[in-house]
Amino acid sequence: MLKYANPTNFLTLAAKLLPWLGAATAALFAFGLYLGFFVAPADAVQGEIFRIMYIHVPAAWLAMLGYVAMAGSALGTLVWRHPLADVAQKAAAPLGAAFTFVCLVTGSLWGKPTWGTWWVWDPRLTSVLVLFIMYLGLIALWQTIEDPGRAARAAAILTLVGIVNIPIIKFSVDWNSLHQGESVFRAGGSTIYPTMLWPLLVMAVAFTLLFVTLLIMSMRNEILRRRVRRLSLLAADLAR
Amino acid sequence: MTRKGRRLALIGSAVGLMALAVGLILFALKDNIVFFYAPAELAEKGVQPGTRLRIGGLVKQGTVERAPGKPISFTVTDNVKDVAVTYDGLLPDLFREGQGVVVEGVLETKDTFRADSVLAKHDETYMPREVADALKKQGLWRGGTAQNGPPTTQSQGSP
Amino acid sequence: MRGALAALFWREIAIARRIGGAGALGLVFFLILVTIAPFAVGPDLALLARIGPALMWIGALLATLLGLDRLFQADQEDGSLDVLITCDVPLELVVATKCLAHWAMTGLPLVIASPLLGLMLAIDGVTLAAVALTLLVGTPALTFIGAIGAALTVSLRRGGLLMAILVLPFAVPILIFGTSAAAAAAGGSVPFATPFLVLCGLALFALAASPFAAAAALREIDA
Repeated sequence: MLKYANPTNFLTLAAKLLPWLGAATAALFAFGLYLGFFVAPADAVQGEIFRIMYIHVPAAWLAMLGYVAMAGSALGTLVWRHPLADVAQKAAAPLGAAFTFVCLVTGSLWGKPTWGTWWVWDPRLTSVLVLFIMYLGLIALWQTIEDPGRAARAAAILTLVGIVNIPIIKFSVDWNSLHQGESVFRAGGSTIYPTMLWPLLVMAVAFTLLFVTLLIMSMRNEILRRRVRRLSLLAADLAR
Repeated sequence: MTRKGRRLALIGSAVGLMALAVGLILFALKDNIVFFYAPAELAEKGVQPGTRLRIGGLVKQGTVERAPGKPISFTVTDNVKDVAVTYDGLLPDLFREGQGVVVEGVLETKDTFRADSVLAKHDETYMPREVADALKKQGLWRGGTAQNGPPTTQSQGSP
Repeated sequence: MRGALAALFWREIAIARRIGGAGALGLVFFLILVTIAPFAVGPDLALLARIGPALMWIGALLATLLGLDRLFQADQEDGSLDVLITCDVPLELVVATKCLAHWAMTGLPLVIASPLLGLMLAIDGVTLAAVALTLLVGTPALTFIGAIGAALTVSLRRGGLLMAILVLPFAVPILIFGTSAAAAAAGGSVPFATPFLVLCGLALFALAASPFAAAAALREIDA
């Protein structure tokens, strides 16, 4: 396992894994979307519109999971000074931002017909918006600090400070929010009827695979980009 | 004190302060800082008329009145206390008797409320139509569409 | 150690005063914000009184952040930051001292001036006192949180805007409970003490935690 922490070995592994991961992601997405949009019955109260949850909920989970993964990489950067952790951190930020954005947009599209408003400043919505802004801030930090090592350490510290937002998002629905409470991971079992829950779980796995696939691709690109950077610095040195 | 000892003392006092802070926050948050209030909480806290706030609860069965040219009126209840709400505007599709609702506006007297926006609140349960009908037959259904005829936005799903 | 920190505190104050005072500038900025708000809102004193506390909080937030990007930068440019990092006094306490000095020169004047400016926004007496009290508790927390951003952007020539973007999400809870405490004093649905206690807790947390994050950032980035 440790062998693949070396960037070169990681590239070899990525080249081997990516086709399989990509195929599995596509297959699971097709299966999950089919289940969600054609097999699952309409909700008794919301009707067909509830199907947005098959995109919205996995996107929200990945938005948070992406942040936690990024915080894990941040520890890798600060504690073990591992170059691959730097790369993982940098690659995860835009992905997390994208998933958060999907979560916000689908939520808004669902909110208009069900709640009667596109947006409301409820604790859950606000805390997820703050998560989105944090992702954007991290991306901005990565882009502004030129030296990659220094950027990684700065981003790592900011990421670890921002982790306070994750429990706030999780528990925000307990403060009389407009957003409904937790339906899946709760004491006493899920409140989603099984025929509607299964497609959601399939979609969650599909989204996770998508995230992993994109993360590996993005990390590969970042490693290559760093090599190009190093080579061009070297070339400039030699030309002098 | 040695350098290491001093560092430990520093971290220790910071952690102590943070624990105190978290305790303070949790203690105060328990006293309900919330997005909306339930009708019973209004009475309990003695909220003065004229205050802007949000109230959440269920739309009481059989209280929705729509007369042409007049504001819509209905009662929001938490099964303990009721608040009479008037509202002039468009209601969300999911607004139904027995369903959850959050209204934003001004408390006019102790138990009347003038809303300027009405939001439907959906709970965390999802179930197919047939299951809901079966639950209704058994009398276990607690919200929704029971007396109000077929809801407008709904269509039957695939099996 | 105490002597060293006190010396650092007075050094910061002296520098701030000699440069013509970021504090005075912050105060003028605050005044301008309060002046333009009524023109943006229109001639409606009742509305102005209702949103007044929120306006003052936003003004205080921006005025605090605007001056903060230089918190460590000047020290980095003349090399004294390296001395501060390597000296025997814990860097966390150095950061906290610098923040306190910065707050005394920018935040404190805002708090003292807030009742006067509040009068111009048609805020009544009780609410004015509440706004001043919430600002007194909230502005140090904003300075301390801002210090994290200032430390992260210490090596950047034009870090001001980036710093605001990095820091503002963390200021959101302080702003929420600061304004809701001020609103509660004006006659809301909760007693003043409830949101105010949360604000105190948040401020305390920021005061205890931020110096560690800022110090870590300084060590990691300046290394």
